[in-house]
Amino acid sequence: MFLRFRQSVEYLAGERDLAPPLLARIPAWLLRSAVWLLAIALIYAFCGQSSKFIYIDF
Amino acid sequence: MIFNTFAYYLLFLLPAATLYRCSRDRVRPWIIAVFGCGFFLYFAYSMAGVWGALCLGIFLWESITSRLYKPGSRWCLLGLVQSLLLLGFFKYWNFFTGLLFWHHANPVRWQSAFLPLGISFFTFEFYHYAWDRRAGRTEQGTLAEYLAFILFFPTMVAGPIKRYQDFLPKLRAKPRDWSSDWEFGLTRILTGLAKKFAIADLMTAWTNHLNAHDIPFADRRMLLVWLFAYGVKIYADFSAYSDIAIGSARLFGIGVPENFDWPYGRRNIQRFWQCWHISLTRWLMDYVYIPLGGSRVAPVRIYINIMLVMLVSGLWHGAGLNFLIWGLWHGLLLALHRGWRKWRGEPSTRPLPVFASRVVTLIAVNAGWAFFCMDLHTVTLFYRRLLAV
Repeated sequence: MFLRFRQSVEYLAGERDLAPPLLARIPAWLLRSAVWLLAIALIYAFCGQSSKFIYIDF
Repeated sequence: MIFNTFAYYLLFLLPAATLYRCSRDRVRPWIIAVFGCGFFLYFAYSMAGVWGALCLGIFLWESITSRLYKPGSRWCLLGLVQSLLLLGFFKYWNFFTGLLFWHHANPVRWQSAFLPLGISFFTFEFYHYAWDRRAGRTEQGTLAEYLAFILFFPTMVAGPIKRYQDFLPKLRAKPRDWSSDWEFGLTRILTGLAKKFAIADLMTAWTNHLNAHDIPFADRRMLLVWLFAYGVKIYADFSAYSDIAIGSARLFGIGVPENFDWPYGRRNIQRFWQCWHISLTRWLMDYVYIPLGGSRVAPVRIYINIMLVMLVSGLWHGAGLNFLIWGLWHGLLLALHRGWRKWRGEPSTRPLPVFASRVVTLIAVNAGWAFFCMDLHTVTLFYRRLLAV
């Protein structure tokens, strides 16, 4: 079950090219649009407090 | 800031990736090299002024000397030494001279010291190229290809640490699947940015309390919350950075190594390090652990090698005693794990021991973050307060 969850998250985040069985029936454009919308909403909501990436200073 | 600035996307990533895909084979490496120079000058100047920007000379010098590296050649040793000397000078001068003159003020302290943008990462790529050229494990490539390798700006500042022999075929291949690369690349960038803004930066509110002023007055349970919040923050922050770097590289049609593979919740510390900052772990294995003899030496030497590798890892993360102790802590955990496996054999697959080992690993890793995010004085205060000593 965890493996399916993990594959789904990786696919939605753009890390995996092939859709896992759990998401294969849903049109890719619909999933992609939902992820982009959610990501843009989160970025817009939280962007005011941004700080430097930690590893930049290493 | 870099990946969370408009300048990165509008001035560098989108124009460079578009031009790269529309250009002829011979021109493509030069596009990466030219945009890489512009990227370095722009961000190094904004972070460290003129001297920071002038460090572009390090790349140009390295690219010239790299033409001398041949299999078995002594010039490769010069390449190894010069890359380490540069890192040592910029990153560790004040640390080591401070240790040398620990009992009074450091007379040779470099007052206006600065760190060239990405030096810890590009040093590893310079070192890898010189080493692998000497061993005959990689071809030389053209000057433009080498410049494209070291100046590939999506990975220049904080990795993932690339290998020339992996990068070269991707650079030489004509990028074809434009729509798929941009669809997945942009998705990766957006999820990375969302992770950074919504998780990593949100955790900052708690982790900011990990300082000498707040710790003495905090509830002990809150200390644990702050420490675990730092564990979440550093994972979300660095994995978000890697997501954006990998997504950015994909816009060019170039695949770069993954850096994280769900590290938290792994069964043991060895698995954790196979899944955390993967490109660094592999670099340390190939260029420190194996040259030291790896696991093919006497048992005691193996444990010493493990400790040395983690000591290097700690020192690489920062020029401070707290980073050294962080490295030693992980070395100790890895050595203990190895000893335990030798003694008890293969681990149990029953649910309870599996769950317990995941929890113990998670706690051990997070206990170590205290040394990573606080100086030695503050971390002593933290643990004395937490353990009520």
